[in-house]
Amino acid sequence: MILFRMAYGNLFLHKAKSVLLGTIMCLGIAVLFVGNSLIDTAIGGLKKMFVEGYTGDVMVTGPTSFPTTIFGETAGGEEVLPHIAAFSSYSERLSADRNVAATLPMLSGQVAMGLGEQVIGQGSAFGVDIADYRNFFSGNISLVKGQWPSGGDQAWIIISEMSAQMLSKVAGKNIGAGEKIVLSALGDTAGTVIREVEVAGVVKFNQSSQELARISLVDADTMRDLLGFASLRDGQIVLTEKQAEFVEAFDPEALFGDEAGADVIADPEKEGIVLEGSGFVDPFLSAVEAKDAAAVPGEGALAAPPEPAWQFILIRLGSGANATRFMDGLKAFAAGLDQGAHVQDWVAGAGTVARTAVTIRLVFDLMVSIVAVIVIMITMNVLVVSISERVPEIGTLRALGAKKRFIRRMILLETSFLAIIAGLAGVFLGYLALMVLRRSGIEAPNLFFEAIFAGKKLVPSISAGAALQAFLWIFGMSILSSLYPIAIALRIRPVVAMQGE
Amino acid sequence: MDGQNQYVVRLNDVHKSYALGKTEVLALQGVSFDILKGDFISIAGPSGSGKTTVLNLIGCVDTATSGSVTILGQRTDSLGDEKLTALRHKGIGFIFQTFNLIPVLNIRENVELPALLDGSDLDMPKNERQEWVDHLIESVGLADRMKHKPAELSGGQRQRIAIARALVMRPPIVLADEPTANLDSATGESILALMKRMNREFGTTFIFSTHDQGIVDIADHVIRLKDGKIVENYRAEEKASS
Repeated sequence: MILFRMAYGNLFLHKAKSVLLGTIMCLGIAVLFVGNSLIDTAIGGLKKMFVEGYTGDVMVTGPTSFPTTIFGETAGGEEVLPHIAAFSSYSERLSADRNVAATLPMLSGQVAMGLGEQVIGQGSAFGVDIADYRNFFSGNISLVKGQWPSGGDQAWIIISEMSAQMLSKVAGKNIGAGEKIVLSALGDTAGTVIREVEVAGVVKFNQSSQELARISLVDADTMRDLLGFASLRDGQIVLTEKQAEFVEAFDPEALFGDEAGADVIADPEKEGIVLEGSGFVDPFLSAVEAKDAAAVPGEGALAAPPEPAWQFILIRLGSGANATRFMDGLKAFAAGLDQGAHVQDWVAGAGTVARTAVTIRLVFDLMVSIVAVIVIMITMNVLVVSISERVPEIGTLRALGAKKRFIRRMILLETSFLAIIAGLAGVFLGYLALMVLRRSGIEAPNLFFEAIFAGKKLVPSISAGAALQAFLWIFGMSILSSLYPIAIALRIRPVVAMQGE
Repeated sequence: MDGQNQYVVRLNDVHKSYALGKTEVLALQGVSFDILKGDFISIAGPSGSGKTTVLNLIGCVDTATSGSVTILGQRTDSLGDEKLTALRHKGIGFIFQTFNLIPVLNIRENVELPALLDGSDLDMPKNERQEWVDHLIESVGLADRMKHKPAELSGGQRQRIAIARALVMRPPIVLADEPTANLDSATGESILALMKRMNREFGTTFIFSTHDQGIVDIADHVIRLKDGKIVENYRAEEKASS
């Protein structure tokens, strides 16, 4: 109790020191509180948008050593992300995991959209099972026009409202449900593959940005064809009569003979057949191979059908699941399979926007750390001066029988008192600033910030967590700052008490 | 208590030197004396004679360069910081020339302070301790100033509080370094009278340093120093009889 009395009393006795340190701490806490709240709000908004609308919490991707976005962009520069070879093993593992609320397999790539010979747009397309997709992102997608494709529908695309407007503008006609457009893959690995698809519907993504609002959904098998996974389709190929005739007449042996194929395939690209590129087999060739295999009794029956190709498995975690721990477990599982599949969180999947937001947080934290070092130095200096002014007092206490731990506790308590009082003032100041910012909101000055803010305006949320974090940060710094002055105080010998005040 | 234990302080051939710049100052040169329990002792001598150095050694706030200092039966050169602190806390009360009261504590808290350091309050029930503190403050005549801060008291009143504080742990020894140096002569005399009364009332050994010959005469035992050496060491009754 006497320690509290002394610590409390000393705060008022040494007013200049207390006011100086208190002001530094108060402003530090206020800035931290406001800064953390703004960044937390931005990242929280982004996280909500991506996790609930596009990426899920965690994802498994095909083999790559680098983070990969759901738009198919890999930091490693691969044109097309390879598929997950052990897809069924992951499915089995994830369905048995109580932390997993839902999973969604997906393909992703960049496609060009055309109308006849005219290219009318391009953008990201996700190859999905539409029922699974709607189920997984039920809160983020709503049909505006057309209808949801059913399981039996072949080669469909669902475009967003924004895409529909942009495509219509370029095409000079309304592009909507029922319109047939041509998709072509942009990746070099797969070569140029062209597929005609029908616009099944126009949708609205409830939470989106400029980039996200242009995503299209394509049936998974068409997407596999476009990405070069045609041999790993899920369903049987249904050929038109003309295509069936072509396959029937096609002789692969003749293809490599002198002048072979010249008569058979006048323009391979136009026919949608690609003969180069490792690992790529055109669906028509697949059909041929399947036909040949079936022609040899026993061979077709022995070969197990390949698993359909998926590049991503998006995972939604149940409430209360620890994402980091879950990812660690899944990474260990992936390493055990030794297929090179990659496990990553939503930030990696979300791409530039989320990474930028996280980078801003890191830069802010770095700035805070630099400021913290400066604050520690100032606080330490002020405390050292204060200790030097109190040498007779500390010497007297030592002479009267105070052990070193008493002196240590006394200075720590004084610093703690100051940090608590200044901390509460700082939290209040920060709260006032946030209330003002909440009232007006912060307008995004450009599209970049609009993406970061996950909207046109950032309205900061006020959380007790951010306040507590700022408070503990400053409190910790104060305690750290007092360690050196304490060491000086503990070196004061009781004999100084005899030397007068 | 046997004859040996009658001595609360024993100095044997104590030397103390310290560096002052490049010069070595010999503060004490072969000082030896014993102090009996319950005595009222004056360490006298002019400035620079070594009085304060002797008090520092007895008060366990400094150590001798050579020789032995034994306080309450313990040789101080063999004790570490913790044990020296404990010896000071339980065994020695301090009255400083400049009072050295804690400015943020009121009079009552200042007097009680040594009894609250490092759990020593556990030695005595709270009620009993507070009655003792009140008794001491009343004894020094400042019962009406208990809630005042030191800054609100005169020099003489502060020194009275310092005397009460020095006695709160009921130490066998109280050291007073020139306790009247910062006081006018009338106040100084009253402080010495108070110390003498406490010495008689509580049986505490009071050792005070002074350069004022006028106040040496009230001591039971006088040790006079000059240039770090004892030049006179006598008991008052012996001198009176001679």
